[in-house]
This record gives sequence, C-alpha cells and structure tokens, in this order.
Amino acid sequence: MSTVVSGVIPYRPAQARGDDTAWLGMVIFLGSWAMMFAALFFAYGVLRLRQPSWPPPGTPPLPVLLPAVNTGVLALNAAALQGALVAARRGQRGRVTAALLLAVLLGAAFIGGQLFLWSGLFREGLAFEDGSLAAVVYGLTGFHALHVVVGLLGLLTLLPPVLAGTLNAARHNRLRLWVMYWHFVGVVWLSMFLLIFLL
Amino acid sequence: MASTLPLLLASLGGPFDAIHLPPDASESGWRIDDMIQSTTVFVSILFVLMVIWMVWSVVKHGPMHQALFDHGADSKSWRWTALVAALIFVVVDGDLLYHSTTFMHGVFFDFAGAEKKPGAVRVEINAHQWAWNARYAGPDGKFNTPDDIVVLNELVVPQGAPVIFQVTSTDVIHGFNVPSMRMKVDAIPGTVTRMWFQPKDTGVFEIICAQHCGANHYKMRGTVTVLPRAEFDRWARVTSVNAARAYDPKDVEAHWGWDWAEHSRLE
Amino acid sequence: MTAQEAALSRQAIEALQPIHHPPTSFFRRYIWSLDHKVIAKQYLWAGLLFLLVGGTLAMMIRWQWAFPGQPVPILGPTVLRASGGVIGPALYMQIFTMHGLIMIFFAITPILIGAFGNFTIPLLIGARDMAFPWLNALSFWVFALSQLLVIGAFFGDLGAAGAGWTTYPPLATNIGTPGSGQTLMVAAVFVTGVASIMGGINYVTTVIRLRAPGMTYMRMPLTVWGQFLTAILNVLFVPVLGSAALLLLMDRLLGTQFFIAGAAAVKGGGDPILFQHLFWIFGHPEVYILILPAWGIVADLLAFFSRKPANWYKGTVLAMSAVTVLSAVVYGHHMFQTGMNPLLGQGFTTLTLIISIPAEVLFLNWLRTIYKGSVRLTVPMLFALGMVFVFGFGGLTGLYLGAAAPDIYLHDTMFVVGHFHFTMAAASFLASFAAIYFWYPKMFGRLMNTRLGKAHFWISVVGITLVFGGQLLVGYAGQNRRLWNPFEYDLFKPLQPLNRWTSYAGFALFFGQLLFIWNFFASFRGEKAPANPWQLGTLEWSVASPPPMHNYDAIPIVHRGPHELSDPALMAKLGRDWVGQAEEVPPDAPGATQAAARGAT
Repeated sequence: MSTVVSGVIPYRPAQARGDDTAWLGMVIFLGSWAMMFAALFFAYGVLRLRQPSWPPPGTPPLPVLLPAVNTGVLALNAAALQGALVAARRGQRGRVTAALLLAVLLGAAFIGGQLFLWSGLFREGLAFEDGSLAAVVYGLTGFHALHVVVGLLGLLTLLPPVLAGTLNAARHNRLRLWVMYWHFVGVVWLSMFLLIFLL
Repeated sequence: MASTLPLLLASLGGPFDAIHLPPDASESGWRIDDMIQSTTVFVSILFVLMVIWMVWSVVKHGPMHQALFDHGADSKSWRWTALVAALIFVVVDGDLLYHSTTFMHGVFFDFAGAEKKPGAVRVEINAHQWAWNARYAGPDGKFNTPDDIVVLNELVVPQGAPVIFQVTSTDVIHGFNVPSMRMKVDAIPGTVTRMWFQPKDTGVFEIICAQHCGANHYKMRGTVTVLPRAEFDRWARVTSVNAARAYDPKDVEAHWGWDWAEHSRLE
Repeated sequence: MTAQEAALSRQAIEALQPIHHPPTSFFRRYIWSLDHKVIAKQYLWAGLLFLLVGGTLAMMIRWQWAFPGQPVPILGPTVLRASGGVIGPALYMQIFTMHGLIMIFFAITPILIGAFGNFTIPLLIGARDMAFPWLNALSFWVFALSQLLVIGAFFGDLGAAGAGWTTYPPLATNIGTPGSGQTLMVAAVFVTGVASIMGGINYVTTVIRLRAPGMTYMRMPLTVWGQFLTAILNVLFVPVLGSAALLLLMDRLLGTQFFIAGAAAVKGGGDPILFQHLFWIFGHPEVYILILPAWGIVADLLAFFSRKPANWYKGTVLAMSAVTVLSAVVYGHHMFQTGMNPLLGQGFTTLTLIISIPAEVLFLNWLRTIYKGSVRLTVPMLFALGMVFVFGFGGLTGLYLGAAAPDIYLHDTMFVVGHFHFTMAAASFLASFAAIYFWYPKMFGRLMNTRLGKAHFWISVVGITLVFGGQLLVGYAGQNRRLWNPFEYDLFKPLQPLNRWTSYAGFALFFGQLLFIWNFFASFRGEKAPANPWQLGTLEWSVASPPPMHNYDAIPIVHRGPHELSDPALMAKLGRDWVGQAEEVPPDAPGATQAAARGAT
C-alpha cells in the first residue's frame, strides 16, 4: 500500500528537532523584545524631532568616549561568547569555561561602565525630571542594562552544567540560546550608542 | 435635509424622538450630515440583505435539506465572493472616501481660505481642568496685548464669518467640541491644534468637552453665542475697552496668549 | 511522500512528544500542571470570574445613566457605604476605566485566547501538548499575578485607576490621576502583557513545529488559524504596549517626562501624543487579537453545523492573514482629532477603509457556508450565528468612524462605544459562549443542557442588540462618552429616557447570564458526553471526552481537511455525513480515493 500522503514533516532525529523547536521559540522571543526596543527607539525619535534643538536648552551634552569604550567591551563579550559556542561544539570543556567566565567579567564591566556614565551625568546636573533628554538617556539605557543583568545571570546558570559535563558537544542548546540572547543585547546597545550618543 | 434614520425612529415614538443629529448651525456641517446619511442608507440595505440571507439559509436549508458538498474553491465561486466584496467596497467605501477627502481638503484644512475671508475672527483657546479660557486679539489684531478680550466658557462669535481657533491646554488633554457646528479638535498640552467653522444661524450652542480629563469632565461646559455681525462688533468693542481698563501688567499668569502667526502655517 | 516515510515521520514526532506518567500530587495536577488542558481550564476560571466583575461594573455605569445620583441597589449598602450608596464623579471614572481594562485584558483575553487557544491548538493539530509546557504553566501564573495587581488597584489609596482604559497621559500621570491605584493598573497591564507574549511564543512555535504528519497549514481547522494569527500579533505588538506602560510607569515612579507637557514640563518636557502613537500601534492590532480567535471558531462552527465545507477556506485564510498584516498601519484612525498632518490623516482613512475588504471576504464566506447547507440549530450554532449578526452590524458602523470627516462629529461619542461593543465585546462574548458550549463535552466530559443554552442565547442576543444599539443611537444624537451625568448638557437632556431603557435592557442581559452560570455548574453532574457528540471530523473528536493527559495514544496521520462533511461518495460508503481528518477510508470503491484526493487540497 503506497498511498501518497502529502505535507508530511520530513524525518529528523528527535534531539535535533527538539533543539530546533527551542531555537524557533528563542527567535520569536527575541523578535518580541526587538519590537519593544523598536518602540522605545520610536519614542526617542518622536521626542527628539519635536524639540527645536537637541540636546534641549539647559541640558548638558552627552559624553561619547565612555559609551564608546562600553561598546568595545560588549563587542569583546560577543567575541568571547562566540568562542564559547565554537568550543562547545568541539567539546573543549576548559575553553568553554574560560570563555564563559571572560564573558561574565566583560558583562559586569559593562554594567560598571554604565553606572559610571549615569553618575557622571547626574553630577553634571541631569536629573530624571529634566525633560526628554533625561527620560530617553536614563530610561533606554537603564532598561537595556536590566537586560544585561538578566544575561549575566543566565550565563552563570550555564557554568554548573559545563563543569559537570552535561553541557557538551552533543547537548549545548542552552548555550546556543543564551549566546543568541547576548548578541541581541549587543545589537541593541550598538543602536543606542549610534542613535543616542553619536547622532 | 430629510434624513432616513430619524424618520424611521420617529415612527416608533417615545424615547426615540430624541434620536436625531443636533441642529446644524454651520455653513459646512451639512456635508458631514450628508456623509452620515448616505452611509446609513448603504449600511441599512446591506444589513437587511444580510438578515434575509441568514434567515433564509436557516429556515429553507434546515436539517431536512441535503447539504451541498461544495468547497466554494473553484474559480467561478471564489471570484463571485471577491467580486461582491469589491463591489461593496467601491460603492460604499468609495463614496465615503470621496466625500471625506473633499471635505477634509476643501473645508477642514482650508485655514488659508478661512484666514483670508474679511471679518474672520481669531480665537485662542486655553483649556484646563475644568473650563475653557478664550482670548480674542482685540482691535490691535495682536494677541497677548492689553486690549485682548479674555472670556471664561462663554464665547461670542459673529454670524456669517469664519471663526478660527488655535487650541491648547495647560494640564491634560481636553476636547474642544461644538456639536452644533460639527467641529471638534483635541486640546493638547505642549501643542497648538487648530479648527475653524463658519456659523450660519444665530443662537446659543454648547461646548462639550470631548476627551476624558478628570473627575469634572462631565461638566466642562461652555457656550458659543452667535450674534448678527453688527451686534458682535459692538460686543467686541465694548468688551475690549473694558478689558484694557482692567488690564494688570503684573498678572503674568493671565497673559497666556501666544503669537498667532507662529501656529497658523499650513503643514 | 509514501506511507512508509509517513510512518518514519510519525516515529520522529512521537519521539519528540514522549508520553509521560500523569502526575499524582494535587499540586502537580491542579496548581502547577504542565497539561495544556488543565492550564486552559485555569485560564477559563480566571477569565469567567473577571467577566463577572467587569459585567458588574458595566451595570453600575448603566445604573448611573438610568438613575443619576441615586443609590445603587445591593452594591450601595455594601461597597459604596462611604458615599451613601451613590456613585460620585470620581468613582464613576474609576468604574468605566476598570470596566474597560478588565473586560479586554482580564476577561476576553484569558477566555478566548488563554483558555481556548490552550485547549484547542494541541488537540486540533494532533499534538500531545504545547511546544513549551513549562513556559505555558508559567504564563498562567504570571497572568494570575497580573489579576492580583488588578485586585490591588481596587484598594488603591486614592481609588482605582481612573484615566479611562486608554490611559492617556498627562491625565494618566501623577498630574491627572495620582495614587497607587492607577500605578498598579499600569503595572498589571505590563505583567499581563508578559503573560500574553509567553503564550504567543508557545502558540506560534507549536503550530509551526508540532502539527501531526499530514496536517498541512491548509488542513488546519480555522480555529487554529485564528489562534495562530492572534499569537503572531500578540508577539509583535504587545511589546509596544509594554513600552508605553514602561515609560508611563517611569513618569509616575521616577519623575521622568516622557509624556508630560504644558505647565508641568521641565526643560521642554515630553509629548503626550507619543503615548497615543505607542498605545494605538498596539491598540489597533489588539482589536484584531481579540476577534481573530472568534472569527476562526465561528468559521468552523458554521461549517460544522451546516454539515458542509467552509466556503473558500483559502480565501478565509488569506483574508485573516491580510487583516493581520494590515492591522498596525490603520492605527491613526484613533488619533484623527490630535491635529495630525493632513496627508497622514488621508493615508490612515484610506488604509482603514481598505482593511474592510478582507473582512468583507470572510464575512461573505460565512454567509455562503450556511447557504444550501443542512443547518442544525444547536446551541453552539446559535451563538455562532449570533456572532455573525452582531459582527456584521458592528462592522458596518465602523465605516462612519474610519473616514476622517464623519469621525470629526462621531469621535468621543457613544457611537464609538456602540461600535466597539458590537464588534469587540458582543462578537467575542458570543464566540466565547459558542466555544464553551461546543467544547464543554470535550473539556469536562459532560453535556450541557440544551434548553437552558437556547434561552441563554436568546436573552443574550436580544439584550446585546438593545443595549449596544441604544449606545449607537444616543451617540448618533451626539451624546459624548465617559460623562458621569450626560444630562448636564441641554443637548443630551432629551436622551435620558432612551438611556434608561437601554439600561433596563442591560440589566436583563446581565441577569440572563445566570442561566449560563447555572447550566455550566449543574452540568458537571450532567449526562456523560460521548467522544463525538457533534458528529465531526476534527481530531479532538477522535479521542475520549475528556481526553487522556497525553491526548493521542498514537499521533494521527492526517489525510484530509477539517470540514469534509456531506461528501456524497463518503456518505454512501460510511453511512454518515462526516469523516475524521485522520480516518483511514478503505480504498476499494473508486469514489473513496477521488474523495480523499479532493479533500487533500
């Protein structure tokens, strides 16, 4: 009996199917967050275009050097995580651990840099209430920083399985998903740097 | 203008007697009324057809009827569906689109035309919780000068000339709304919005706040009194003189007016 | 693809969805269950409870307009003692605000999307559960948290939220509505948004990845299409609402000035209209989020109970997809009065009128489905037909509002309120009941009482038509919305009698729901339901009522579409007018393979 059955999903090993399903879920999840940040950038655009001049009168100009350094820190972090992923595919447990720790350190350095940035702005007299500029700078970068913190916690949860060997060459989907998350966070920061601090 | 819906409802009597558009006291309001009426005719026809079709299907093709095994997916069938949808769109939506576009372009946004007409009156509205502050430029034609007429809630305008409004708010969003002139626009803090109408009939017409603005939104009421031209001019003259006499240069909060020309450009 | 390959594929998808032992502890069975069917019921209870709360608030609004300033019965001596049983202006604005927010986010959403999305998607596509069962359970408890925040808002120091469900700033900032009630509601909306996004991720991934072999996209029941497209909109646009809520919370709690302008602005301030953009970029897709599941369910029910295929299935799918794609680009029609650029206004008018075309297509498909059918007026069918009626009527009233010019007069009047109550409230409400009556046997394993169901239907449809029709009429006469006492205005004084009659109809509608409440609970001890009480072919009717935890002993292999009803060849062979989607029909008679091929489109 060979009746034609149309539209059947092609055969793939169960493990790969499960990983791919999780990957799809992560893509949709990041799509959702991308929409949220897109809305925040839209808000920034509307507020900025409404002001006759930017920065609005009475507000200090924004620094460029410190955010640029922070961008570099995140870029290194992305490289470290990509390295961790490559090492995981090759089963190099030591390398994965080192790369993860480096990424955590760089991520923490980024948060430190942001705290430095905000305290600097505060000292220059930019309070939360000071119009659109303050709202945009503190609001957007603050919200982004929350995402970095979540990402750091996520990386820390990966360390035990790496050390225990349950996260290995055959099963490292969790690492793949967290690296996707971090790349997303990095791209968002790059956009903020370019649009808010440089432009 | 005979209108189908009120006539139909009047035949029912009782509480339905009150269901009619407010009396239209403006030059151009009839165009909005016409759009509403013609759309009502169309949608009533479609609605009746829909009900007849549904009742027929349920009654005539009930459990005793043998169902037709048709997916409606052959090209003759789906083209029929698409055609009917397109037809409804072209006739009903098309009519509405045409009239709405010509109204918005030819009337609503025709600030240039309104400003050019002789005898046009300019009013600045500053809404706040929960009253309407209105300012007229006075004989010198400039806002925020000692001869400005400032009224609270009770506007006076002339018959037969455009009355142009620039509207803002100090606190929350309000809605400057005169139903009898078929015109409204939001009053938004930090922005100046605009609207205009030309009164055709004399009388007293209500201003009704059309955007939820807090606990007393329900009684943010004002009036627009339309006077014959000569009477309006007399009112304006007398009130302006009194205003100049009562002017207090130290009362900064009362000088909330702004330069008209800054916001009178058409985008 | 051959049958051997189909079997291999089934093997793969079986491995992806292993059958687990059902849990035994009370906690794992009823509190933290990973079973989509249990989570669906959790959402259903939560939604029905808040539907009651929202309905009560509506009755308070109607009371105030029927008898302005008079003490409210029952609620007056109990919860309104402080004001002598009377609803004052400040309380009134909280009532209509909470009514809107609760009905949209905490009643209709959990019922149509949370409950019926969860219940139907895995069953109807032949899966054992959602793609991410743990995330599913979490989404319900996050939602429950948001409901707690709503309850908290009622006990706010300065009352509940009061800026209207649209929460426009600056009224919604500390300038207009200070106090924890408003803040808690904005937070509640944010949290429920998180739950919606979690659910959306699950639904989309499940439909893409877990369809049974042979269940192509074009063989899915339209119910699943409705839920799938809604989930896509949820995933894309709830985050925009999230951003609006986040920025508003920052303004309220941190003193930022995203939305503050006018006298309170500092260093230039922000832009209140920015909020409206963000809100309506979400808000317009939101109305489609609420209606797409209803459209899908009704399209299926009309076919099922006309005993014939849904007319032009592909057209309906294309139409629903077109509406999904277009949903965000029409949002400006909510903002016509904000002084927007004329070109922009023209664009939004045109697009808004264009989006009516796909809606017309799927509406015509409904009408052609029931025509030349064999219509059985079961209770679900009555509610489906009722939905067609109210949605048809309500949709037509949208025409007046979509064009900028008539909208000048009608904006902020009760006409708008009547329009969205017909299209959004009435249609979703009736579709929810259609769904409940339809899937109750499968969910609870019992049959509901038919006579009570029919009585519930008639009271609901007549009540709905009178109440929301009354709103349209007074709105046409100019009555503005959100007024504690509309009769302060000379223009509206003559409308008091009609408002009172509308309220009477409202009270009848509200109390008529008691028929449902009684039926719903009493039927738990009612007649046991067979596996397939409605005689249909979609997959959920091929398993027991209620299904085992793992749904399918063997993942089905699907051979045909969901509405293969009254096929003459199959009727002759099988002796019934329905055939299961995964049913193996013996190929001996030539008619059978032809029918299978026809159904296999």
